[in-house]
Amino acid sequence: MPEKKAGLIEGATVEESGSVDLFKTVFERIQTAILVIDPAAHRIVDVNPLMESLTGFSRDQLLGSTCHGFVCPARFGECPVTDLHRDTLNIEREIINANGKRVPVLKTVAKAEIDGREYLVESFTDITDHKRAEERQLALIAYLSESILRARKPLEIMQTDFQQLAGQVKSGDYDAEEIRMQLQVHANNLRQILTNIEDLQKKALEGRSDEIPPEFRDFFKRT
Amino acid sequence: MDAQTVAGDAAESMLCLLLARPENVPEMNMLVMKKILKSGCTPLVVTVNKPFKVLVKLYEKEGISPDSYYVIDAVTQYSGGVCTPGSRVKYVTNPSNLTDLGIAITELLKKMPVGKKCIMFDSVSMLLIHIPSVTASKFLHFVVTKLKLTDVSGVFLCAEKGLDPVILSQMSSFVDHITDFEKIGADTCIL
Repeated sequence: MPEKKAGLIEGATVEESGSVDLFKTVFERIQTAILVIDPAAHRIVDVNPLMESLTGFSRDQLLGSTCHGFVCPARFGECPVTDLHRDTLNIEREIINANGKRVPVLKTVAKAEIDGREYLVESFTDITDHKRAEERQLALIAYLSESILRARKPLEIMQTDFQQLAGQVKSGDYDAEEIRMQLQVHANNLRQILTNIEDLQKKALEGRSDEIPPEFRDFFKRT
Repeated sequence: MDAQTVAGDAAESMLCLLLARPENVPEMNMLVMKKILKSGCTPLVVTVNKPFKVLVKLYEKEGISPDSYYVIDAVTQYSGGVCTPGSRVKYVTNPSNLTDLGIAITELLKKMPVGKKCIMFDSVSMLLIHIPSVTASKFLHFVVTKLKLTDVSGVFLCAEKGLDPVILSQMSSFVDHITDFEKIGADTCIL
Protein backbone atom coordinates (compact mmCIF):
# COMPACT_ATOMS: atom_id res chain seq x y z
CA MET A 1 0.00 0.00 0.00
CA PRO A 2 1.50 3.37 -0.99
CA GLU A 3 2.50 5.69 1.84
CA LYS A 4 0.06 8.54 2.48
CA LYS A 5 1.41 11.94 1.53
CA ALA A 6 1.93 14.47 4.31
CA GLY A 7 0.56 18.00 3.91
CA LEU A 8 2.03 21.22 5.21
CA ILE A 9 0.17 20.94 8.52
CA GLU A 10 1.31 17.41 9.33
CA GLY A 11 4.88 18.63 8.97
CA ALA A 12 4.61 20.95 11.99
CA THR A 13 7.05 20.56 14.89
CA VAL A 14 6.10 19.03 18.27
CA GLU A 15 6.34 22.45 19.96
CA GLU A 16 3.72 23.79 17.62
CA SER A 17 1.38 20.83 18.06
CA GLY A 18 -1.20 22.63 20.30
CA SER A 19 -1.93 25.39 17.87
CA VAL A 20 -1.62 22.94 15.01
CA ASP A 21 -4.37 20.78 16.49
CA LEU A 22 -6.69 23.76 16.66
CA PHE A 23 -5.70 24.93 13.18
CA LYS A 24 -6.07 21.40 11.80
CA THR A 25 -9.56 21.05 13.26
CA VAL A 26 -10.60 24.39 11.75
CA PHE A 27 -8.91 23.52 8.45
CA GLU A 28 -10.76 20.23 8.21
CA ARG A 29 -14.16 21.40 9.43
CA ILE A 30 -14.46 24.80 7.74
CA GLN A 31 -17.16 24.91 5.05
CA THR A 32 -14.82 26.55 2.55
CA ALA A 33 -12.59 24.53 0.26
CA ILE A 34 -8.93 25.43 0.79
CA LEU A 35 -5.79 24.85 -1.23
CA VAL A 36 -2.34 25.82 -0.02
CA ILE A 37 0.02 26.46 -2.92
CA ASP A 38 3.77 26.84 -3.13
CA PRO A 39 3.85 29.85 -5.48
CA ALA A 40 7.38 29.23 -6.71
CA ALA A 41 6.59 25.77 -8.08
CA HIS A 42 2.81 26.24 -8.45
CA ARG A 43 2.43 23.02 -6.52
CA ILE A 44 -0.34 22.10 -4.13
CA VAL A 45 1.11 21.56 -0.69
CA ASP A 46 -2.08 21.08 1.31
CA VAL A 47 -5.83 20.74 0.84
CA ASN A 48 -8.75 20.41 3.23
CA PRO A 49 -11.49 17.76 2.92
CA LEU A 50 -13.99 20.17 1.37
CA MET A 51 -11.53 20.77 -1.48
CA GLU A 52 -11.52 17.02 -2.09
CA SER A 53 -15.30 16.91 -2.27
CA LEU A 54 -15.46 20.08 -4.43
CA THR A 55 -12.99 18.76 -6.98
CA GLY A 56 -13.67 15.03 -6.73
CA PHE A 57 -9.89 14.48 -6.45
CA SER A 58 -8.47 12.71 -3.40
CA ARG A 59 -6.01 14.46 -1.14
CA ASP A 60 -3.27 12.17 -2.46
CA GLN A 61 -4.09 13.12 -6.05
CA LEU A 62 -4.03 16.81 -5.20
CA LEU A 63 -0.90 17.03 -3.05
CA GLY A 64 2.22 17.72 -5.11
CA SER A 65 0.21 18.38 -8.28
CA THR A 66 0.70 21.52 -10.31
CA CYS A 67 -2.30 23.80 -9.86
CA HIS A 68 -2.58 25.25 -13.39
CA GLY A 69 -4.27 23.02 -15.89
CA PHE A 70 -5.29 20.78 -13.01
CA VAL A 71 -7.79 22.51 -10.75
CA CYS A 72 -7.16 25.96 -12.20
CA PRO A 73 -8.12 26.67 -15.84
CA ALA A 74 -5.25 29.20 -16.21
CA ARG A 75 -2.36 28.12 -18.42
CA PHE A 76 1.30 27.98 -17.42
CA GLY A 77 2.74 31.48 -17.25
CA GLU A 78 -0.73 33.02 -16.88
CA CYS A 79 -1.32 32.49 -13.17
CA PRO A 80 -3.66 35.33 -12.18
CA VAL A 81 -1.86 35.75 -8.84
CA THR A 82 1.85 35.17 -9.44
CA ASP A 83 2.15 36.08 -13.14
CA LEU A 84 -0.63 38.61 -13.74
CA HIS A 85 -0.52 40.03 -10.18
CA ARG A 86 -4.27 40.38 -9.93
CA ASP A 87 -6.06 40.81 -6.62
CA THR A 88 -8.20 37.80 -6.00
CA LEU A 89 -10.80 38.55 -3.38
CA ASN A 90 -14.18 36.87 -3.71
CA ILE A 91 -14.10 36.86 -7.47
CA GLU A 92 -16.08 34.49 -9.65
CA ARG A 93 -13.89 31.82 -11.16
CA GLU A 94 -14.15 28.22 -12.23
CA ILE A 95 -12.25 25.19 -11.10
CA ILE A 96 -11.93 21.96 -13.02
CA ASN A 97 -13.25 18.91 -11.18
CA ALA A 98 -12.19 15.27 -11.55
CA ASN A 99 -14.75 14.78 -14.36
CA GLY A 100 -13.20 17.66 -16.31
CA LYS A 101 -16.25 19.84 -15.63
CA ARG A 102 -15.90 23.47 -14.68
CA VAL A 103 -17.42 24.31 -11.30
CA PRO A 104 -18.29 27.98 -10.63
CA VAL A 105 -16.70 29.23 -7.41
CA LEU A 106 -16.01 32.38 -5.47
CA LYS A 107 -12.26 32.45 -5.07
CA THR A 108 -10.02 34.33 -2.68
CA VAL A 109 -6.25 34.12 -2.60
CA ALA A 110 -4.24 35.36 0.36
CA LYS A 111 -0.47 35.29 0.77
CA ALA A 112 0.76 33.71 3.98
CA GLU A 113 4.25 33.18 5.40
CA ILE A 114 4.76 29.83 7.10
CA ASP A 115 8.16 28.90 8.50
CA GLY A 116 9.76 31.76 6.58
CA ARG A 117 8.35 30.63 3.26
CA GLU A 118 5.61 32.28 1.30
CA TYR A 119 2.50 30.32 0.40
CA LEU A 120 -0.76 31.11 -1.30
CA VAL A 121 -3.87 30.20 0.65
CA GLU A 122 -6.65 29.81 -1.85
CA SER A 123 -10.23 29.46 -0.62
CA PHE A 124 -13.19 28.47 -2.74
CA THR A 125 -16.95 28.62 -2.20
CA ASP A 126 -19.06 26.55 -4.55
CA ILE A 127 -21.66 28.85 -6.17
CA THR A 128 -23.24 26.27 -8.49
CA ASP A 129 -26.70 26.69 -6.90
CA HIS A 130 -26.38 30.46 -7.00
CA LYS A 131 -25.41 30.37 -10.69
CA ARG A 132 -28.30 28.02 -11.44
CA ALA A 133 -30.72 30.44 -9.75
CA GLU A 134 -29.13 33.33 -11.64
CA GLU A 135 -29.58 31.48 -14.97
CA ARG A 136 -33.22 30.81 -14.09
CA GLN A 137 -33.77 34.46 -13.27
CA LEU A 138 -32.08 35.45 -16.53
CA ALA A 139 -34.32 33.04 -18.46
CA LEU A 140 -37.46 34.41 -16.80
CA ILE A 141 -36.53 38.02 -17.56
CA ALA A 142 -35.37 37.25 -21.11
CA TYR A 143 -38.53 35.34 -22.03
CA LEU A 144 -40.79 37.86 -20.31
CA SER A 145 -39.07 40.65 -22.22
CA GLU A 146 -39.38 38.73 -25.50
CA SER A 147 -43.09 38.01 -24.80
CA ILE A 148 -43.81 41.69 -24.28
CA LEU A 149 -41.79 42.60 -27.35
CA ARG A 150 -43.52 40.10 -29.59
CA ALA A 151 -47.03 40.69 -28.27
CA ARG A 152 -47.63 44.10 -26.78
CA LYS A 153 -46.39 46.43 -29.53
CA PRO A 154 -47.86 44.35 -32.40
CA LEU A 155 -51.18 44.30 -30.53
CA GLU A 156 -51.07 48.06 -30.17
CA ILE A 157 -50.44 48.43 -33.91
CA MET A 158 -53.24 45.97 -34.62
CA GLN A 159 -55.60 47.99 -32.45
CA THR A 160 -54.93 51.02 -34.68
CA ASP A 161 -55.39 48.82 -37.76
CA PHE A 162 -58.78 47.63 -36.50
CA GLN A 163 -59.86 51.23 -36.07
CA GLN A 164 -58.66 51.94 -39.62
CA LEU A 165 -60.56 48.85 -40.80
CA ALA A 166 -63.76 50.10 -39.18
CA GLY A 167 -63.28 53.34 -41.10
CA GLN A 168 -62.72 51.43 -44.34
CA VAL A 169 -65.95 49.46 -43.88
CA LYS A 170 -67.85 52.66 -43.16
CA SER A 171 -66.38 54.45 -46.17
CA GLY A 172 -67.58 51.81 -48.63
CA ASP A 173 -64.38 52.34 -50.67
CA TYR A 174 -63.02 48.87 -49.93
CA ASP A 175 -64.53 45.67 -51.26
CA ALA A 176 -65.40 42.68 -49.09
CA GLU A 177 -62.27 40.75 -50.11
CA GLU A 178 -59.98 43.63 -49.12
CA ILE A 179 -61.63 43.81 -45.69
CA ARG A 180 -61.58 40.01 -45.32
CA MET A 181 -57.85 39.81 -46.16
CA GLN A 182 -56.98 42.37 -43.50
CA LEU A 183 -59.17 40.63 -40.91
CA GLN A 184 -57.60 37.30 -41.81
CA VAL A 185 -54.07 38.73 -41.46
CA HIS A 186 -54.95 39.92 -37.97
CA ALA A 187 -56.68 36.63 -37.07
CA ASN A 188 -53.52 34.78 -38.14
CA ASN A 189 -51.36 37.26 -36.26
CA LEU A 190 -53.39 36.82 -33.07
CA ARG A 191 -53.05 33.04 -33.34
CA GLN A 192 -49.30 33.42 -33.87
CA ILE A 193 -48.98 35.81 -30.89
CA LEU A 194 -50.76 33.27 -28.66
CA THR A 195 -48.45 30.50 -29.91
CA ASN A 196 -45.43 32.72 -29.23
CA ILE A 197 -46.59 33.49 -25.69
CA GLU A 198 -47.21 29.79 -24.98
CA ASP A 199 -43.76 28.83 -26.34
CA LEU A 200 -42.00 31.57 -24.41
CA GLN A 201 -43.90 30.75 -21.22
CA LYS A 202 -42.88 27.09 -21.58
CA LYS A 203 -39.22 28.00 -22.10
CA ALA A 204 -39.31 30.40 -19.14
CA LEU A 205 -40.84 27.78 -16.85
CA GLU A 206 -38.26 25.25 -17.95
CA GLY A 207 -35.59 27.86 -17.20
CA ARG A 208 -34.05 27.28 -20.61
CA SER A 209 -31.26 29.78 -20.80
CA ASP A 210 -29.36 28.08 -23.65
CA GLU A 211 -31.22 30.07 -26.32
CA ILE A 212 -30.58 33.44 -24.72
CA PRO A 213 -28.21 35.43 -26.92
CA PRO A 214 -24.88 36.49 -25.37
CA GLU A 215 -25.78 40.14 -25.99
CA PHE A 216 -28.78 39.80 -23.66
CA ARG A 217 -26.58 38.13 -21.03
CA ASP A 218 -24.12 41.04 -21.20
CA PHE A 219 -26.96 43.55 -20.94
CA PHE A 220 -28.45 41.64 -17.99
CA LYS A 221 -25.08 41.60 -16.19
CA ARG A 222 -24.54 45.31 -16.83
CA THR A 223 -27.97 46.23 -15.47
CA MET B 1 -31.36 63.79 -33.34
CA ASP B 2 -32.70 67.19 -34.41
CA ALA B 3 -34.71 67.88 -37.55
CA GLN B 4 -31.78 69.54 -39.27
CA THR B 5 -29.55 66.50 -38.85
CA VAL B 6 -32.29 64.24 -40.14
CA ALA B 7 -32.49 66.32 -43.29
CA GLY B 8 -29.08 65.11 -44.39
CA ASP B 9 -27.85 64.98 -47.95
CA ALA B 10 -30.37 63.38 -50.27
CA ALA B 11 -27.59 62.43 -52.67
CA GLU B 12 -26.15 59.83 -50.30
CA SER B 13 -27.84 56.60 -49.33
CA MET B 14 -28.91 56.51 -45.70
CA LEU B 15 -30.26 53.91 -43.36
CA CYS B 16 -32.66 54.94 -40.68
CA LEU B 17 -34.66 53.23 -37.96
CA LEU B 18 -37.74 55.35 -37.46
CA LEU B 19 -39.64 54.96 -34.21
CA ALA B 20 -43.21 56.11 -33.55
CA ARG B 21 -45.98 55.47 -31.08
CA PRO B 22 -47.93 52.39 -32.26
CA GLU B 23 -51.02 54.46 -33.11
CA ASN B 24 -48.85 56.64 -35.37
CA VAL B 25 -47.23 53.82 -37.37
CA PRO B 26 -49.79 53.97 -40.28
CA GLU B 27 -49.37 57.76 -40.43
CA MET B 28 -45.59 57.31 -40.34
CA ASN B 29 -45.84 54.99 -43.36
CA MET B 30 -47.69 57.63 -45.40
CA LEU B 31 -45.41 60.47 -44.42
CA VAL B 32 -42.26 58.47 -45.12
CA MET B 33 -43.60 57.42 -48.55
CA LYS B 34 -44.25 61.05 -49.46
CA LYS B 35 -40.84 62.11 -48.25
CA ILE B 36 -39.09 59.34 -50.18
CA LEU B 37 -40.90 60.38 -53.37
CA LYS B 38 -40.21 64.06 -52.69
CA SER B 39 -36.50 63.30 -52.36
CA GLY B 40 -36.49 61.80 -55.85
CA CYS B 41 -36.06 58.19 -54.72
CA THR B 42 -38.12 55.28 -55.98
CA PRO B 43 -39.64 53.53 -52.96
CA LEU B 44 -39.71 49.77 -52.46
CA VAL B 45 -42.23 49.02 -49.73
CA VAL B 46 -41.81 45.77 -47.83
CA THR B 47 -45.12 45.14 -46.13
CA VAL B 48 -45.67 42.52 -43.46
CA ASN B 49 -49.00 43.98 -42.39
CA LYS B 50 -51.15 45.32 -45.25
CA PRO B 51 -51.99 43.36 -48.42
CA PHE B 52 -50.84 44.97 -51.69
CA LYS B 53 -54.38 45.69 -52.90
CA VAL B 54 -55.23 47.55 -49.71
CA LEU B 55 -51.91 49.40 -49.69
CA VAL B 56 -52.55 50.65 -53.24
CA LYS B 57 -55.91 52.08 -52.17
CA LEU B 58 -54.50 53.67 -49.03
CA TYR B 59 -51.72 55.32 -51.03
CA GLU B 60 -54.11 56.44 -53.77
CA LYS B 61 -56.25 58.20 -51.17
CA GLU B 62 -53.11 60.13 -50.22
CA GLY B 63 -52.42 61.02 -53.85
CA ILE B 64 -49.61 58.49 -54.32
CA SER B 65 -49.76 56.90 -57.76
CA PRO B 66 -49.30 53.10 -58.03
CA ASP B 67 -46.77 53.78 -60.80
CA SER B 68 -44.43 55.52 -58.39
CA TYR B 69 -43.46 52.63 -56.09
CA TYR B 70 -42.73 48.91 -55.86
CA VAL B 71 -44.03 46.49 -53.23
CA ILE B 72 -42.97 43.22 -51.64
CA ASP B 73 -46.13 41.80 -50.13
CA ALA B 74 -45.69 39.14 -47.44
CA VAL B 75 -49.33 38.99 -46.32
CA THR B 76 -51.73 38.50 -49.25
CA GLN B 77 -50.93 34.80 -49.48
CA TYR B 78 -50.82 34.60 -45.67
CA SER B 79 -54.42 35.91 -45.63
CA GLY B 80 -55.59 33.45 -48.28
CA GLY B 81 -56.04 36.24 -50.82
CA VAL B 82 -55.36 36.13 -54.54
CA CYS B 83 -51.91 37.32 -55.58
CA THR B 84 -52.64 39.40 -58.63
CA PRO B 85 -49.44 39.45 -60.70
CA GLY B 86 -47.92 42.81 -61.52
CA SER B 87 -44.63 44.24 -62.68
CA ARG B 88 -44.32 46.31 -59.51
CA VAL B 89 -45.15 43.68 -56.94
CA LYS B 90 -43.64 40.48 -55.63
CA TYR B 91 -45.39 38.16 -53.24
CA VAL B 92 -43.86 36.13 -50.43
CA THR B 93 -45.83 33.29 -48.81
CA ASN B 94 -45.72 34.71 -45.29
CA PRO B 95 -43.68 37.14 -43.19
CA SER B 96 -41.63 34.39 -41.56
CA ASN B 97 -40.28 33.26 -44.95
CA LEU B 98 -37.10 35.29 -44.65
CA THR B 99 -35.27 33.43 -47.43
CA ASP B 100 -37.90 34.38 -50.01
CA LEU B 101 -38.16 37.85 -48.55
CA GLY B 102 -34.41 38.35 -49.03
CA ILE B 103 -34.56 36.99 -52.59
CA ALA B 104 -37.57 39.20 -53.43
CA ILE B 105 -35.74 42.29 -52.17
CA THR B 106 -32.68 41.47 -54.30
CA GLU B 107 -34.73 40.72 -57.41
CA LEU B 108 -37.00 43.75 -57.19
CA LEU B 109 -34.09 46.12 -56.48
CA LYS B 110 -32.45 44.83 -59.69
CA LYS B 111 -35.69 45.24 -61.62
CA MET B 112 -36.26 48.81 -60.47
CA PRO B 113 -35.13 51.54 -62.85
CA VAL B 114 -31.66 53.01 -62.42
CA GLY B 115 -31.59 55.90 -59.97
CA LYS B 116 -31.99 56.50 -56.29
CA LYS B 117 -33.90 53.77 -54.50
CA CYS B 118 -35.17 53.48 -50.98
CA ILE B 119 -36.63 50.54 -49.11
CA MET B 120 -39.31 51.19 -46.55
CA PHE B 121 -39.81 48.25 -44.18
CA ASP B 122 -43.25 48.29 -42.53
CA SER B 123 -42.71 47.26 -39.86
CA VAL B 124 -40.04 45.69 -37.68
CA SER B 125 -42.58 45.46 -34.84
CA MET B 126 -45.02 43.38 -36.90
CA LEU B 127 -42.19 41.17 -38.18
CA LEU B 128 -41.55 40.21 -34.54
CA ILE B 129 -44.90 38.38 -34.46
CA HIS B 130 -43.46 35.90 -36.91
CA ILE B 131 -39.82 35.50 -35.88
CA PRO B 132 -37.83 35.80 -32.64
CA SER B 133 -36.07 39.07 -32.01
CA VAL B 134 -32.62 37.49 -32.45
CA THR B 135 -33.58 36.22 -35.93
CA ALA B 136 -35.15 39.58 -36.79
CA SER B 137 -31.97 41.37 -35.83
CA LYS B 138 -29.85 39.03 -38.00
CA PHE B 139 -32.24 39.41 -40.94
CA LEU B 140 -32.26 43.20 -40.69
CA HIS B 141 -28.48 43.16 -40.51
CA PHE B 142 -28.47 41.09 -43.71
CA VAL B 143 -30.84 43.54 -45.44
CA VAL B 144 -28.86 46.56 -44.29
CA THR B 145 -25.60 45.04 -45.57
CA LYS B 146 -27.25 44.36 -48.93
CA LEU B 147 -28.53 47.95 -49.10
CA LYS B 148 -25.13 49.39 -48.22
CA LEU B 149 -23.44 47.32 -50.92
CA THR B 150 -25.92 48.48 -53.55
CA ASP B 151 -26.04 52.08 -52.32
CA VAL B 152 -29.76 51.90 -51.58
CA SER B 153 -31.35 53.86 -48.74
CA GLY B 154 -33.56 52.20 -46.16
CA VAL B 155 -36.13 53.30 -43.62
CA PHE B 156 -37.21 50.72 -41.06
CA LEU B 157 -40.45 51.58 -39.32
CA CYS B 158 -40.90 50.40 -35.76
CA ALA B 159 -43.19 51.06 -32.82
CA GLU B 160 -41.27 52.96 -30.15
CA LYS B 161 -40.16 50.76 -27.26
CA GLY B 162 -41.01 47.88 -29.60
CA LEU B 163 -37.40 46.76 -29.55
CA ASP B 164 -35.58 45.61 -26.49
CA PRO B 165 -32.45 47.55 -25.54
CA VAL B 166 -30.22 44.78 -26.85
CA ILE B 167 -31.72 44.77 -30.37
CA LEU B 168 -31.88 48.54 -30.37
CA SER B 169 -28.19 48.70 -29.54
CA GLN B 170 -27.41 46.11 -32.25
CA MET B 171 -29.47 48.01 -34.81
CA SER B 172 -27.87 51.29 -33.85
CA SER B 173 -24.57 49.76 -34.91
CA PHE B 174 -25.75 49.02 -38.44
CA VAL B 175 -28.13 51.88 -39.28
CA ASP B 176 -26.98 55.48 -39.64
CA HIS B 177 -29.69 57.01 -37.49
CA ILE B 178 -32.34 56.05 -34.99
CA THR B 179 -34.97 58.74 -35.15
CA ASP B 180 -38.10 59.50 -33.20
CA PHE B 181 -40.89 60.11 -35.74
CA GLU B 182 -42.82 62.43 -33.42
CA LYS B 183 -39.80 64.73 -33.22
CA ILE B 184 -39.43 65.12 -36.98
CA GLY B 185 -40.95 68.28 -38.39
CA ALA B 186 -43.49 67.96 -41.22
CA ASP B 187 -41.16 69.76 -43.60
CA THR B 188 -38.13 67.62 -42.76
CA CYS B 189 -36.69 65.25 -45.30
CA ILE B 190 -35.73 61.98 -43.67
CA LEU B 191 -33.36 61.02 -46.45
